[in-house]
Amino acid sequence: MSYEGTTVPRRDSPAGECDYCGHPFPTTDRLVLHKGLEHPQELDADEEDAFISARADEEDELRTLRLKALGALVLLYFGFLMLYAIVA
Amino acid sequence: MPSSPDSDTNSGARREGHTESGPESRLHNWVVSNTKLRLLVQFVTWVSVLTLFTETVAAGNGMTLSKQPRDTLAIPRWLYLATGGATIGASALLASFVTDRAFIRYLHSWSFPGPTIDDWRTPIVWIGRGLGIVVLGLAVYLGVTGPQLPTASFTILVTFVVVRAGLPMLTYLGGNLWPVLNPWRGIVSLLPTGYRTYPEELARWPAVGGLLLLVWIEVVFPVSTIPSTLSIVILGYSVVTIAGAVLVGPNAWFGNADPLSVLFRFFGAVAPVKRRDGKLTVKLPGSDLTDSDLITDTSDVAFVIALIWELTYSGFITTQTGAATIEALASLSNIGVGAVQIRAILIYTLLFVSGYVVFFAAYWYAGVLSRRRTGTYITAKRIAFRFAPSLLAIAAGYHLAHYTGLAVSLSPALGMAIVSPLSPPANPLTLSPPGWFEGLSIAYVLVGHLLAIWAAHATAYELFSSRLVAIRSQYPFIIVMIGYTVISLWILSLPGATPPYLP
Repeated sequence: MSYEGTTVPRRDSPAGECDYCGHPFPTTDRLVLHKGLEHPQELDADEEDAFISARADEEDELRTLRLKALGALVLLYFGFLMLYAIVA
Repeated sequence: MPSSPDSDTNSGARREGHTESGPESRLHNWVVSNTKLRLLVQFVTWVSVLTLFTETVAAGNGMTLSKQPRDTLAIPRWLYLATGGATIGASALLASFVTDRAFIRYLHSWSFPGPTIDDWRTPIVWIGRGLGIVVLGLAVYLGVTGPQLPTASFTILVTFVVVRAGLPMLTYLGGNLWPVLNPWRGIVSLLPTGYRTYPEELARWPAVGGLLLLVWIEVVFPVSTIPSTLSIVILGYSVVTIAGAVLVGPNAWFGNADPLSVLFRFFGAVAPVKRRDGKLTVKLPGSDLTDSDLITDTSDVAFVIALIWELTYSGFITTQTGAATIEALASLSNIGVGAVQIRAILIYTLLFVSGYVVFFAAYWYAGVLSRRRTGTYITAKRIAFRFAPSLLAIAAGYHLAHYTGLAVSLSPALGMAIVSPLSPPANPLTLSPPGWFEGLSIAYVLVGHLLAIWAAHATAYELFSSRLVAIRSQYPFIIVMIGYTVISLWILSLPGATPPYLP
């Protein structure tokens, strides 16, 4: 079953397709997250556990990303502070 | 297929209904856990941080610009542009802190139901369209017979101050009134229609062509200075519109092919007031920009980009740099054939088309990059379709920046032309907007972009199941938006001029 609005590159092999709507995903964690968000009623216990752990992993990675974003913001802020101090 | 093809994650409404215990409630708790508690805290922090950031940048620019003529900035121009670009980048970074799906969905589905209007719709539409037809008739008639002074002409004032400036502002700041006022629709509703079916594959391309053509006519012909020329253009537009609507039926024509109707429909997507299920509903501005059914074809993307580009272009050619560019290109192209006016018009056209292609290509390439960088299987086309509505907020910001001054300065003249359309005063009053209007324009451009950044963020969360992918998918679009902002702020900082070689 193909899913509207998606294409799988020829060299790629998808990690899996959603059992409920046929949406293909390149990695298992994206598939697991999709199932949990999109079809919460249909999941069995295993899928649910997988979703919860994928979500915890995602949360950790998001925390790292937030730190990086904060770093970038600080750099940007002080960069501009310096620029204004020198130029204006 | 239980889900709509355009969203991976539209489960919010579904989830709200069930609170019974069992396997689902564990999941439920995970996804919407302590949301209520965090909502308020996040919202307050967010709003205050964002306002603080934009206010300081906008106010800073406003101050430096207000006291001197346009061409002397207190800070170097590159720093002013870099600050504007950095504002967009910083707000995108800030947006990436909001990772709570429930919160985003809450903001975008918040609505306040207003009065039911469907009982009143028919009489209102009749009155509105009747008024529209009277104004249209007067505009055509007075353009030919009335005074030929632009600021005293009913035709020019109604076309530019009302239709070009005021109505779009009303549309994106309030709600879309055009379907009620559209005079051509009023005329067509009295005629037999629908001799052909509208070819689906044309989609909104006729409207894209029409919009570009209208802007080209506005640039090349003296429609904003000679009322009789404008009358001819309005008459031509009316003939095409009525013929088209009679041929394919008013719904197909005004939904797909009529540039004005499509323009107002798209600007209406930004608006806070909507008509939904027969009721007037108030929503947060721009909260419908995540809708997947707004942009369904490449031509829709082309139209949205055309809205941004035409405002950028008409801004550019009315600056000294723009005029100098045209003059330089005109003298470069002097190969001994053709009058300089003809070559100048060619150059205007070439610049118009090539800039549009660049703007469109930049956006489309962002979609391709977004797909490549995230490794998603969602097609670049669908990504481009989903992110395109956020550009409407940018277009609205540009429009407000470019037309507020015009609307304010000509509003007394418009008032007099409306009160006595047949015998307007010989020397109508025009206001000159105060200097801080310049700073206000910069603020409008930035606010439009910030709304777009937010809309893109929310869209990415609708489109992708992984929040990390959702954040990464936005990067190319943010870079394109920074590019658009910098170009727009640059144009606003240039001293004004009259476009050369034009009648």
